[in-house]
Amino acid sequence: MNDTLIDAHGLTKTYSGKPALRGLNLAVPRGSICGFLGRNGAGKTTTLKLLLGMLRPDAGEIRLFGEAVLSEAASIAARRRIGFVSEDKELYPFMSVGQTIRFTRAFFPCWRRDLEEKYLELFRLPLNKAVPKLSKGMRTQLMLLLALARGAELLMMDEPTSGLDPAMTEDILRALADLAASGETTIFFSSHQLAEVEQICDRVCIIDEGQTVINGELDELKSQYRRILLTFDGKPPSALASLTGIDHLRQRGRTASLLTHGNVDALVERARDLGPTSVEVRPVTLKELFLDHVRGE
Amino acid sequence: MLLYKAWLETRWRFVFLVGSVLLIWLTPLWITAMGVHSGVPATRLWMAIQMGSVLLFIFTAIYLAGSGINTQGIYTFTPGFHGSMLFTLSLPISRLRLLFVRAGLGALQTCILVVIMAVYIVHLRPESTSALQALIYLTRTIVCTMAIYAFSVLLSCVLDEIWQVTGAFIFWTAVFLLQAKFDWVAQISPLRGMSLNCYPITAPMPWEAVLGSLALAVLLLWASVLVVQRKEY
Repeated sequence: MNDTLIDAHGLTKTYSGKPALRGLNLAVPRGSICGFLGRNGAGKTTTLKLLLGMLRPDAGEIRLFGEAVLSEAASIAARRRIGFVSEDKELYPFMSVGQTIRFTRAFFPCWRRDLEEKYLELFRLPLNKAVPKLSKGMRTQLMLLLALARGAELLMMDEPTSGLDPAMTEDILRALADLAASGETTIFFSSHQLAEVEQICDRVCIIDEGQTVINGELDELKSQYRRILLTFDGKPPSALASLTGIDHLRQRGRTASLLTHGNVDALVERARDLGPTSVEVRPVTLKELFLDHVRGE
Repeated sequence: MLLYKAWLETRWRFVFLVGSVLLIWLTPLWITAMGVHSGVPATRLWMAIQMGSVLLFIFTAIYLAGSGINTQGIYTFTPGFHGSMLFTLSLPISRLRLLFVRAGLGALQTCILVVIMAVYIVHLRPESTSALQALIYLTRTIVCTMAIYAFSVLLSCVLDEIWQVTGAFIFWTAVFLLQAKFDWVAQISPLRGMSLNCYPITAPMPWEAVLGSLALAVLLLWASVLVVQRKEY
C-alpha cells in the first residue's frame, strides 16, 4: 500500500505562452486532510485538472496511488478511486437527483449503498427533484454524496464551500471531518477560506504563481514558524534585512516584523544586537503564514 | 449508462423532430381536407414535401449532433463556468467512449428520422417506384445526411452548442452557394446528393456525391477522434 496518494514533481503548464504552473511539487500522504491554498490564478484549478487528466502537463510527473499517470488508461484507473467535486458544482440539468445517482453508480463497482442512503438522509436530498431546481448548497451535497458513495480513497474538491451559507458550510465540513476520522479517505481540497482549512486540515499546501511555497503538516508548520516583533527608538536599522534566517521582513514606522522558521532563538539573539527597545516572539496563524508567503510582505 | 444519459440528453430534441416529421406527413391531409388540393398539381405537392424533408434532414443532422464533451459546457448554471463537462471528465470513462456513445445515439436517431421520412416519400410518390429505386433514394439520403451530421459532431468537439449550430448552418449555406459557382463542389456536395432530381425519385445514384459524402463523414469523424483525444479541458 502506497503512503503518498498524490505525488507531483516539477509540474509545468503554460496557457498560450502564459505560465500557470512553474515546477509545482505536491505530496499528499494517505489519510490526511490537505488544504490547497493560493490566490486567485495561482494554479489551484489547473493542478486539480492535471491530476484528473483533463489537462496534460508540459513537464513534470504525476503519481497517483503510487502509479505514474502517463496514459489515459492510467488516468481512468486512478479516477476509479477518486471522488471529485468541481468548483461550479454543475451536474446534468436533464437528470433528477435519483437519475444522477443511478448514472454515477454504474461506473463504480465499489459503490457503497450504505453511504448513499446515509448521505441522502443526512442531506435530505429529494430523489425526484430535477438538478436545475436544486440550490447551490444542495448541488454541493449531491456532488459530495456522489463522491463519497463511490468508495473513493481520495476525495478532491475545488472550493467545496464557495457560495454556501455558514450553516451549510458547517454541515459539509462536519461530513468531511467525519469521513476523514474513519481513516478510509484522503481529502485534498482547494479553498480561500483559511478558517475552514485551519478547522479541519492536518496538512496545507500553499502555492503562489504556479510554485509551491509551503507544503507540510499544519501543526508542524505552526510550531516551526514564529513572528518576531521588534520595536526601535527610531526607524529600524537597515542591517535588519541582512540578518540570516528571515523568511519575510515587514517594517512599519518604528516596528519591524520578522517571520522565521528554524533556529528562532539564534535569530532573536542577533536581532537584539541591533538595539531594539522591545522584542516579542509570537506563534503564527495560518492566515499570517499564507499572507506572508503569497504577498511577500 | 452512457447511452441512458445520451438518451435523456436528446429525448426532447428527438420528440420535437418526430413531431416535425408528423407535421410534414399530415400536411397533405390538411390540404386535402381544406379542399385546395384540387388546384395544386400532385407532383408539385410531393416535390414540396420532399424539399421540406431535405431541410428537415439537414436540421436533424445539425440539431442531434451535440456529441462533443465541449458542448456540455453549456449546461452551466453560472456563466463562465465549465458546466457538467468537468463532472463527466472526472468519471472513469475514456474520452473516445464518451464521443462514440453520444455520437452513435445521435446518428441512430438521425437515421430513424431519415428512414421514416424517406419511406413516407416513397410511399406517397404517385408513380410506381421499384424497390431498387427506393433503396437508392434511401442510401443517398442517409449517407449525405451523415456527412452533415459528422461535420456537426466535429464542431461540437471544439465549440459550445450555440456556435456549433450557427457554424454548421453558415458552413452548409456557404456550400450551397458554392455549388452554383464551382462544378467540383456540386459534384461531391452532400446537399446535392440529397436533393438531386428531387422529383421523381427515380434518378440514378449520384456516385460522386455519395462517395464524397462518405469520405467526408469518415474524415470528419476521424478528426473528431483526434480532437477529443488531444483537447485539454
